[in-house]
Parts: sequence; C-alpha cells; structure tokens
Amino acid sequence: MRLVLLKKRIIGTVIIKNGWAVQSFGYNRYLPLGKPECVVENLDRWGADEILILSIDRSSNRLGPDFSLLEKLASLQLETPLIYGGGISTIEEGVKVIGLGADRICVDSLLHDNFNIVRKLSERLGRQAIIGVMPVMANNGIIKWLNYRNKSSLPLKDGMLDNYTKTVSELLLIDFLNEGSKDGFNNKILEDFIDVDLSLILFGGLSDGPKIKKLLANKMVSAIAIGNFLNYKEHSIQNFKREYSRSNIRDSYYKERYSLLNDK
Amino acid sequence: MINNINFCKRCLYSEAHPLGLILDSEGICSGCRIHEEKDKLDWSERWDKLEKLVEPYRSISGEQYDCIVPVSGAQDSHFILHLIKNKLKLNPLLVTYNKYFNTPLGIKNLVNLRIKFDCDILYQNINPKSVRKITKSTLHQFGSIYWPILAGQTVFPVQTAVRYKVPLIIWGAHQGLEQVGMFSHEHEVEMTRRYRKDHDLMGYEADDLLSVFNTLSEEDIWQYRYPDDKDLNEIGVRGIYLGNYVRWDPKAQHELMIDEYDYKTASFRRTFDKYDFVDCFNYMDLHDLLKLYKQGYSKVTDHASREIRFGRITRDQGLTLVKNYEQKPPEYLDLFQKWLGINQKELQFIINQHRNLSFWKHQYPDKWVFNGLSSMNQGQKAEGVSKDLFLESSTLEDKIGKKYIVFGKGV
Repeated sequence: MRLVLLKKRIIGTVIIKNGWAVQSFGYNRYLPLGKPECVVENLDRWGADEILILSIDRSSNRLGPDFSLLEKLASLQLETPLIYGGGISTIEEGVKVIGLGADRICVDSLLHDNFNIVRKLSERLGRQAIIGVMPVMANNGIIKWLNYRNKSSLPLKDGMLDNYTKTVSELLLIDFLNEGSKDGFNNKILEDFIDVDLSLILFGGLSDGPKIKKLLANKMVSAIAIGNFLNYKEHSIQNFKREYSRSNIRDSYYKERYSLLNDK
Repeated sequence: MINNINFCKRCLYSEAHPLGLILDSEGICSGCRIHEEKDKLDWSERWDKLEKLVEPYRSISGEQYDCIVPVSGAQDSHFILHLIKNKLKLNPLLVTYNKYFNTPLGIKNLVNLRIKFDCDILYQNINPKSVRKITKSTLHQFGSIYWPILAGQTVFPVQTAVRYKVPLIIWGAHQGLEQVGMFSHEHEVEMTRRYRKDHDLMGYEADDLLSVFNTLSEEDIWQYRYPDDKDLNEIGVRGIYLGNYVRWDPKAQHELMIDEYDYKTASFRRTFDKYDFVDCFNYMDLHDLLKLYKQGYSKVTDHASREIRFGRITRDQGLTLVKNYEQKPPEYLDLFQKWLGINQKELQFIINQHRNLSFWKHQYPDKWVFNGLSSMNQGQKAEGVSKDLFLESSTLEDKIGKKYIVFGKGV
C-alpha cells in the first residue's frame, strides 16, 4: 500500500565504508570524503529533507550496525530525520538503531536472508520505520536484483514484491551500475516498478536537475536520494531545491546567525 | 601498536592517512589513481572551461575587483597570481592572514609578489593575545599549533568576499584531491564549509572551541567564524580551485616562478622539498614534529609521495628520503617557546601527551621508540636523489636573522 506523502523529498545520502564517508561509483570504486559526522552535520545545516546513512561493509563483514556512529550522530542534535542502513540482521539490532536516534531503518541483506525478521521489525517498529533497499539493474527488459555480498544478480520473481507492501513503507531502488555516474540513472528501472503498490525512493546517478524533476513528477516516486553529487559544491541541497521552487518540495533555506551583511 | 596497515604499492601512503585513503583491488591508492588523470585529461580543454567559468565575474565597470585570491609568501601563490593576472587577465584583490610565525624570506616573497603582480592586498591581523590563547588551548587539547592559522587562512578570504561583495574566490590546488584523491578533477569540486571543518580544522569550527575550552571566550574566536549561509547565498560566494583546470605540479610551477619572478627558496631540516612553506618557521618544524607524533608520519612522506607520483623519484628512493629526514630534530622551537611564553620542558611535556601510542613506545622517561608508518612500509634502501632536485636560493632567515617577522598589531 502506497503511503501518501504531502511533500516529496530530497534525501542526502552518506555512504560509509571502513568508518569513512566515501564517494561510491558503481558499487566497486570508492573515493574518501571525510568523517561521516561532518558530512551528516553539513546535510542537516543545508536542510536536506532526510539523511540516509548506508554503512556498506557492515553486513558483508558481519559487524552489525555501527552503533558508535549513531551515538556520535545523536550528539549532533540533528534537525533532519535520519535513516540508517547497514549490518542489521536481528530484531534487537533494528530496535537499538531506532533507540539510538535513527528515525527509520533500511534493510537490504535481510531481504535476501530472512524476510521474516523484516516482517517482525515492521510489527515492532511500525511499517513507516522500515525501508526496503533493492540495488537493481535493467537488462534487456528484465530487472535484476543484486545481492551485493556475492555480486550475483537475479531476475525479480513474480509476486515477490507483494510481500513487501505490507511490511515496508518505501522501496529504495538503487541503479547500482550507474551509481555515482553523472546523469546516469536508467529510467527503465522505474518503468518496471510502475505497478508496485509502494512509494519509491530513487538513487544512483541522479545529478541532473531536469531529470530529477521529471522523476519526481511520477506519483509513485516519493523521494530522490543523492550521494556523491552533493559533495562538490557549497549549498548543493539548496541548489537542487531552488530548481523546484513552487513544486511540491520543501523550500530551500539558508541558516543565519552572525550575518556580516546586516552587521552595519 | 597498529598491525596490518596496508600501504599503496605505488606511493608511500597507507590506509591510516588522516584524510582517508582507499586502496583498490590492485593495491593502488585513491590518490595515485586520481593523479593518473593528470596525464589523461585534455588540459587545454579544461583551461577553456575555466575561462568560461570566470567570465561572468569580470567587473564591467572596472571599479570592482573580479575575484578574491588568498596568498602567502610561499606555496604556489606566485604561480596562482601568474595564472590569474597574466593568463586570465583578472583583477584580483589579494588577501593574506598574518600567521605570526613569518620568516624573513616569506615576507620578502610576499613583497615581491605584490610588486611584481601589482595587486591590492588586504592583511588580516588577529590580535596576538587571542591568537596566543587559542594556540595554547589547541596545542594542549589537539596537539595543534596551526588551528588559528588554518582557520584564518580559510575564513578571511570568505569573509572578504562577503564584505566586499566579490563573489569569486580562486584557490590553488585542493589538498584532498592532490593527496588522497578525494575527488576527480572532473568533479570540479569547489570550496565548502564542510571540507574546511572536517579536514582543515580537525572537526572544530570557531564556535566549537567555546564548548571545548573554558579558557576561550567569544572575543577570542569571533574573527574565525565562517560567514552565514544566508550571506554566502546573497552574495553568491563560490570558491574554485585552479588545480581542477591546470595540470598542477608544484615543483615545476615553483621553478617557473623562480625563473620568471625571482621566487626565493630555502632548505629545511625535516624535508628535501625547498619550495613549499618557506614563509613559516613552524610549519616544517614544530608543526611537522607534531604530525609525526600524532599521525606516525611527517611532511617528508607527503613530499616523497608527490614526487613518486610525478615519476621524479622511485618508491624506494622516496622511502629512503623519509627515513633520512623524519626523525631530524626541529630547528626553531626556541622561537615558538618565546612567542608562547613557555619553556622547553613545558613544551616537550605537552607535545609528548600527543604521541600516538600506536606509533610510539615509551621505553623510559626520556626515551620514546618510533614504530611509525615508515618502519612498517616495505622497500629497499635506495641511492639518494640528486641534490639538484630542489634548489635553494636563500635561507628562511634571509639576511634578517632568526626571528618572527610581525606586522600590524603583532608584537
């Protein structure tokens, strides 16, 4: 069942590998960015509608969620809702992530490994707190779903997503082949999810204003997640938002405390 | 002790680099991979992009500056102005932050720069009392004597852009891109407050200091505050990096400036590079020693890695240079002690607190054993590099002597 949200969102995404915020390209190449807490704090100051943390090596290295990072983020007193994903494999871990300050959690490996735990997390925390993550590619008219841990991609099974509609609130669709590529997002991915009764968050190669605007115009798209491209210029979130003023996106704003211009 | 630190197979950096560094499946680091772009990109095309980028910022009336350019008496400033004045034909307002640890040679270079390029310049002199208070505090807490300098150098140009309503700031190279490959040149990364806080300021902006130190007050830190987002947006301030549009090679650039503008160089005790940082008594001295204490490597590793990437020395030669230089004692501690008002024992006690026990073993009261990154890095002892690799034309003290050259409010 699709959640009806009044405003569409621009989600600032922070990919974390080995404790560092990184730029990620196609799920196989990475460049360092800095300390995750600095990147997150910055997205909060810029007025992102939501911040998505993806700790990409926690599940594959069986490290569990990055609780120490969540504790650091809690101390920042963020104003922006936080989504955390990475290493959650049990109900207790999911609950603890929320307890440490995340507003929602997202799950990827668990969708492959044990959907029953996802269902129980949904019962415990509420469906609104659960986002399903699906790295996908469009290949000759077929959508393939990546299991990033063993790097295998398999076609989606018929009816598989029906289970999700009662369990997760949104699906985060990642174009993993084009992740980090300028204007790389493959629109064909969206075409294959058009009948899914879930709100969609799109991520992977979304850098181009007109393309983002067009994608956001789809009624099933609730949000666009942007990662690498937010790190190249000052006020990137505000710049994206400014392009959509008067549309159904929260307006951009600029913090002011010690103005040099008004200090006359 | 840290075990299993992975090193780049090409340069001397490891995954322990404080800016973050990523090794790929071939064992080559992100910095070396991005460096490869220097020989792949069409730099003529990229220069054209730069020319188009700066065009809207030219003052039509000629009564306003076209851009703000941060400068010092060292580190690429001559080359930056050469590009801006001579190649781009822009009219810049120069800004410089008085770091107080100025060498006579650095002041000479700065004077030379102003005269040869015929530019207006603004100096920022923060009152010395506050600078000393902050330096003392950050030395104790962070093991850093450079916080005020890095904060001042990175904020004064931005404040000036807002106050003078000159939106374009032009910097030289982006340190994160050059060292660890944080960005591709094609990302055309620009100045951000996030990068400044994260990397230049070790995660602490001016206001953060107030919550860390009860020794500091509002009147000490306000000059280091980054302008508000609203102000930046209203003026349209942006800071671009020339290194995204020019094949950045500090050694070649300095040598061009030596030939064309009489840029002066000097040797250092703790590195083989003779061109960078000749404006400061402390950067390659106490500041560099603190880097070795905290990070397990020092600036000579940065210099060697850069020269390896440009193919001017081999990896083994680089590692040999690092081992030759990094344990050399600093030369100018007495100047700093006098400036800060502490004695040698007090200073040594403070800086010992910042030795990273992953890299240092305390054997007995006055004996520390180094187990830093160069001792873990694999390589063969190599022949030395040519003495002519870097050329010196003067000394830090020039003809003036061993003392900080202060101006403005400095005492």
